[in-house]
Amino acid sequence: MRLYVLRRLIQIVPTVLMVTFVVFLMMQSIPGDPVVALLGDAYTEEDAERMREAYGLDRPAVVQYLIWLGKLVRGDWGASILTGRPVLQDVLVRLPVTLELIVLSMAVALLIAVPAGIIGALRRNTWADYAATSAAMVGVSIPEFFVGVLLLLAFSIGLQGLLPSSGWIYLPGTCPNMVCGVSFWGNLQHVLMPAIALGIGRAAILTRLLRASMLEVIRTEYVTTARAKGLGERSIVLKHAFKNALIPTVTVMGLQVGFLIGGAIVVETLFAMPGLGTFGIDAIIARDYQQVQGFALVTALAFVVINLLVDLTYTLLDPRIRYA
Amino acid sequence: MTHGGESVTGALGEAGLPLEVRAPGLRARTESPVREAIRRLRGSRTAVVGAAIVVALVVVALGADVLAPQSPIASDQSQTFARPSADHPLGTDQLGRDMLSRVIHGSRVSLLVGVSSVILALGIGVPLGLIAGYVGGRVDGLVMRAMDLVLAFPVYLLAIIIMIMFTPTAGLLGTVKVVGAIAIVRIPIYARLVRGSVLSIKEKEFIEACRALGARDPAIVLRHVLPNCLAPIIVTTTLGIATAIIVEATLSFLGLGTQPPTPSWGWDLKANVAFIQANPWLSLFPGLAIFVTVLGFNLFGDGLRDALDPRLK
Repeated sequence: MRLYVLRRLIQIVPTVLMVTFVVFLMMQSIPGDPVVALLGDAYTEEDAERMREAYGLDRPAVVQYLIWLGKLVRGDWGASILTGRPVLQDVLVRLPVTLELIVLSMAVALLIAVPAGIIGALRRNTWADYAATSAAMVGVSIPEFFVGVLLLLAFSIGLQGLLPSSGWIYLPGTCPNMVCGVSFWGNLQHVLMPAIALGIGRAAILTRLLRASMLEVIRTEYVTTARAKGLGERSIVLKHAFKNALIPTVTVMGLQVGFLIGGAIVVETLFAMPGLGTFGIDAIIARDYQQVQGFALVTALAFVVINLLVDLTYTLLDPRIRYA
Repeated sequence: MTHGGESVTGALGEAGLPLEVRAPGLRARTESPVREAIRRLRGSRTAVVGAAIVVALVVVALGADVLAPQSPIASDQSQTFARPSADHPLGTDQLGRDMLSRVIHGSRVSLLVGVSSVILALGIGVPLGLIAGYVGGRVDGLVMRAMDLVLAFPVYLLAIIIMIMFTPTAGLLGTVKVVGAIAIVRIPIYARLVRGSVLSIKEKEFIEACRALGARDPAIVLRHVLPNCLAPIIVTTTLGIATAIIVEATLSFLGLGTQPPTPSWGWDLKANVAFIQANPWLSLFPGLAIFVTVLGFNLFGDGLRDALDPRLK
């Protein structure tokens, strides 16, 4: 087991290298030049040359990538071309915001999907099932940003500004400087709508999946056996059926993380949150190569680490699955 | 299938075998799988509702010039932010453009991108999957590693970077760029799906029989392997259109889709969120349009899956 985890951790390295390298090449091939944007009206050919040299932008793309990599292994993520701030510092400030958003949206998704999926399967073809499956159909068809807009209409505009429509209040301990607002309650108010907007779609997908796998599991012989030996319904559903139905659900939850990162970009943009999503999209649009690299690195890392965690969860759910 | 079944029955009949020797249910099956699927599809309420929505949308998109009361890009500076009225049933936006006309015309970009990007992704992904699955070995490894590389990216990240590379523009060219970006992201899905089906189909006896009869590989792949992986492809395609429409709307929402003045639901929604406080209806209608469109394709795709794959019922 320990060997397996170690091997998987080593496998992360080539994947992350590949993703960051491809992103690097793609960003380099974009027409235009960040130096032009940086100098703006003060643009002169000499200044541009000097800046390109200073940032190493005049070298071949592969060399630039290797330089970036060389600095990275020494813990230096480079500095933003446009603001001059260290990329790592920006990433560390913004990461907690996005992590909180993603974790809470996953919690929203599970809170809805687990009961809805189980009830849908157990009370198949009743009004409860139809309600759950119809709601799930609506949920998979509605884009995150439209859920966000509906929430804004309901809670920021409809209910006299019950919840704030934009901005951010940091969780205690994550404040990047002295001037930002910090409070649990304020943070909850700010994160609630984005988390629901991002979580609804995941809830719908997981409900459909969980219902389908519960239906499959309920028909198996070991569930019949459990019934035959007189186990209580609660124990049958939760211990025997649900745990086994969770395996495909966990797989899809892992796959959904890729979508969550993309969804975070959208939701953070809509609610003007200072997270990694807005950091990434701003960096890509401004062609701030160093920031984009930092963003791609974090994204790729999150992606592979979560997939590893998903594989490890299988062993908890089904002890027959073993990794040698 | 039916034809084969009948001839088998006929042959048995001629041979004068007793009835019990025939495979059970052989005679009862007089319906072709396609007909059976259509019958099931008609019986499925979700599929019928989905199909109705899709057909209505296609009509709206094709007849947008006739159906829209005004030009979607003509701005009337004296009529900015008009509330919904008889003249402007959905009101006007900050440039005084008729919102109903914009929503009607917006259907074009959404449907065009949704359908063409999936066709493009199919056109590249299906052959790749067929070749990888059928040839196997090093070719398989190479193709699938390339697909894994694309899949290693979160979907939106890749689509966003590709759109920046393409530089978003307005009009048809802008739409084509979005189609390309979404297609690239979606290719691996079809390649993997088809490869998986091919791997199991190519081991079947009837393929072996084709080989024994001396059929060439391209003929076997096109006439015998491909038709047998069509069912999952068709279902994934319908649901894929729904996904592509969401991705298009999302790119537009981020300002990276088809550029204005071309009407696009995602862009309109985003542009009007800024005025949501005073004019809440403006971002509501483009959003509803996206939702209903995606719902239509999802309902139809779900019904199609139930119709084509009775095992999943």
